[in-house]
Amino acid sequence: MVDTLNDASSTAIDGPGDRPGDGAAGQRRPMLSISGISKRFGEHQVLRDVSLSVMPGEVVVVIGPSGSGKTTLLRCINLLEDYDSGTVAVDGEPIGYRADGSGGRTRLPERAIAASREKIGIVFQSYNLFPHMNVLENIVAAPVRVKHVPRAAAEARARELLAMVGLSDKAAELPVRLSGGQQQRVAIVRALAMEPKIMLFDEVTSALDPELVGEVLAAMQQLAAQGMTMVVVTHEMSFARDIADRIVFMDGGVIVEAGKPEEILFAPRTERVRAFLKRYNDRYRL
Amino acid sequence: MTNLNPLYHSFWYLLRGAGMTVLMAGVAIVPATLFGMALALAQVFAGRVAQGAIVVYLFLMRGIPLLVLLTFAYYLLPLTGIDLPPFWGVVVVISLYYAAFMCEVFRAGILSLPIAQWDAAKSLGMPRGLMLRIVVLPQALRLAAPPFVSLCANLVKATSLVSIVGLWELTMASREIVERTLAPFQIFLGAAAIYFCICYSLALYGRHLERRVLHGH
Repeated sequence: MVDTLNDASSTAIDGPGDRPGDGAAGQRRPMLSISGISKRFGEHQVLRDVSLSVMPGEVVVVIGPSGSGKTTLLRCINLLEDYDSGTVAVDGEPIGYRADGSGGRTRLPERAIAASREKIGIVFQSYNLFPHMNVLENIVAAPVRVKHVPRAAAEARARELLAMVGLSDKAAELPVRLSGGQQQRVAIVRALAMEPKIMLFDEVTSALDPELVGEVLAAMQQLAAQGMTMVVVTHEMSFARDIADRIVFMDGGVIVEAGKPEEILFAPRTERVRAFLKRYNDRYRL
Repeated sequence: MTNLNPLYHSFWYLLRGAGMTVLMAGVAIVPATLFGMALALAQVFAGRVAQGAIVVYLFLMRGIPLLVLLTFAYYLLPLTGIDLPPFWGVVVVISLYYAAFMCEVFRAGILSLPIAQWDAAKSLGMPRGLMLRIVVLPQALRLAAPPFVSLCANLVKATSLVSIVGLWELTMASREIVERTLAPFQIFLGAAAIYFCICYSLALYGRHLERRVLHGH
């Protein structure tokens, strides 16, 4: 266990080095650093001392069997899920808890937690748009009421982002009138409208009809190309291969293996990753 | 029984009673709704102690008949030295009683909202108050609207009980006329018809709301 952890965190610190503007990767501070997060649901240990660093502009894809803790890890980052020990920092700023120097930690007040969540965009498997607001209102609600961006500016930005994902004509629609793929693209835009420093994607294509998956992945690819720091939990292996700077394989609440996509997907070092990929390939080969 | 003359001659008096019924119900619905909403929010958000206190309150209100509460208050209030006109005393009791049921209606509305909606609001950095105001309540109230309206109809009918503590409204007016005319069937037929019209129009409105809930806007 300790071996795999050290292994993972050492890979984590390597960073990508091949993204735009990434000259001095070694010198820079990670955009996201998760250190030693553990969480249990009753008897079940969901996360065991997981550490992971993500550099600015890096795209990290988390794969692994269901129940491996990858979604929980993602939800711990912005404290949608609480955890028993460990810390998270985004751009150097502690999220949720502050280490008190003596190995313990103090929980930050709710206001502070709400404020740090602004910096972390998350897109969910089930879109979770607000059904009583139209598309534009879904997008501008938080910038206007949380960040106090003037409404006109927020709407202009929202339309810009909608255009980016090809939904300019849907601003006035209610979410129920949109397809799953369209709703998910709106959800991406809604998160982006807060100008987050990092974007988290939690199996965002799992609830979609196969023919709608492509349009959502394309939006994410575009985002990655613009230099957004992203952590992506997905079951789409070919997408992982295309978009990831680094792939992290989780199982049983630990990071089993992490590395460049070609290493993990084509030359995994551990038996667990090999077995997982074989099962995946067997299932999806036509 | 077939002679409707007594009803015909006293119908105006009955309608005045009905006016009082509607006034009493209309006045009581406001504090009942506000207090019920406050109880529901406290049940969802407040600490254990407040939650426990509210649960006790709900059990008491649900476990005691309104008639008993009204009678109890009728004898108790003068002893406490609170000098409240009977109309307002009755309004307070009905409000406290119905607030317990309103609380359940609103709480069910709030809890029936998927957790994912809370997650989405939280993840956008919304503090609790804002989340409640723009995400949770607009959806929860829409879900709660139909049962809320039927509870209001229930409250209208419950005002008939206040004649027991001497307040004058539709049922009291009917009893007065019956004493004078000795025509209980005709008079109470008229009273029943009036109650029915008030509650049926509420029910129609409730069904209209329900249709709006089911079909979005």
